Amino acid sequence: MSDPLLLLIAFAVVIGLAVVVLIQGWQLHRTQAKLAALQNSGAPRVDPATAVDLEAKLKTAYEAKIVAATSTFGADLEATSKRLSEQVSRLTTTVIEEELEAYQKTLEQVRASAIQAMDQIHQAVEHQRTELREGMEADLAKEEKALAAKFDAHLGDVVASYISESLGSGVDIGAQMQFILTSLEAHKADIRKDLLGDA
Amino acid sequence: MPESSAAKDFVLPAAVYSPQLLESVIYDLQVYVDWIRQNEIRARVGANSKDAPNHSDETVLVIEAWQKGKAPTIDSIHALLSHLKALKLPEVHITLAALPNHAQRRTLVEWFRNNTVPGLLVSFVADRNLGGGLVVRTPNHVFNYSWRQELVAGRDKLAEIVRRV
Repeated sequence: MSDPLLLLIAFAVVIGLAVVVLIQGWQLHRTQAKLAALQNSGAPRVDPATAVDLEAKLKTAYEAKIVAATSTFGADLEATSKRLSEQVSRLTTTVIEEELEAYQKTLEQVRASAIQAMDQIHQAVEHQRTELREGMEADLAKEEKALAAKFDAHLGDVVASYISESLGSGVDIGAQMQFILTSLEAHKADIRKDLLGDA
Repeated sequence: MPESSAAKDFVLPAAVYSPQLLESVIYDLQVYVDWIRQNEIRARVGANSKDAPNHSDETVLVIEAWQKGKAPTIDSIHALLSHLKALKLPEVHITLAALPNHAQRRTLVEWFRNNTVPGLLVSFVADRNLGGGLVVRTPNHVFNYSWRQELVAGRDKLAEIVRRV
């Protein structure tokens, strides 16, 4: 239980006691006033001994009443305090439970949000990874294709250069003469047409 | 000027197959004509004649083809010289992987003269990058029958073979 609540309860108890004392004091004052009025009113007088006796009895009865009232009030106050304490305890427990429940809910929501965010991040990363992999595969395939095309394009040159380098100065025109004449015969019409057109 | 009968029947000998050889023959004939004229002047003034200039074998063959067995005269030689200078023969340049020898040159020249233009002039160039075959360059066209060209043209087939290996 919190300190302000205890202070509030103690303050209420003190106020209650003060009110009871004030009420009792006011009743005593009224009784004394009535007694004085009776004495002054010329009512039948009582001899002093009887008056003292009556006063003593009255005082004793009055004090007994005060004790009884105080006792009753104390018992009530104790019961009230007990109930109040129970109520506060119950309220406190309820509040704490509600707070804990709310906290639990908030925690669950945060956890759910975090899990959702994690899932989204994971999906985004996976998507990015997939795109990156596909892009890299496409780039690699493109580059491979370009290299293959370049290789194919220069293959003839490479082989021709290799052959001419390998042959070096050892080319035998005599051995090629049949191939040369066959090539010329195969294209005789084209060559003849070109030269006769120019002749 | 009307063309003489010698000029009509004249065929450039196979030995004179290139523009350079024709220029050489023309130069020889020019020197020969100059020598004859100078000797005529020397004879008139009683001076000693100079020795006849040397001719190349090709020049001798050209003169024989022009004279057709007749004895050469200053006029006939001069006519030959004028005829040769006026000739406008088509030329082809043949590039081979190596320079051919005389027999090979003669074979190629005969093929061209028999199958295209009789008086055709042929010059030979060597380019070992061709690998083999020949490249024929006419005034209007280039006919490439070299091995290099064959290989480059068949690069798809070559690439296919390389992939299969």
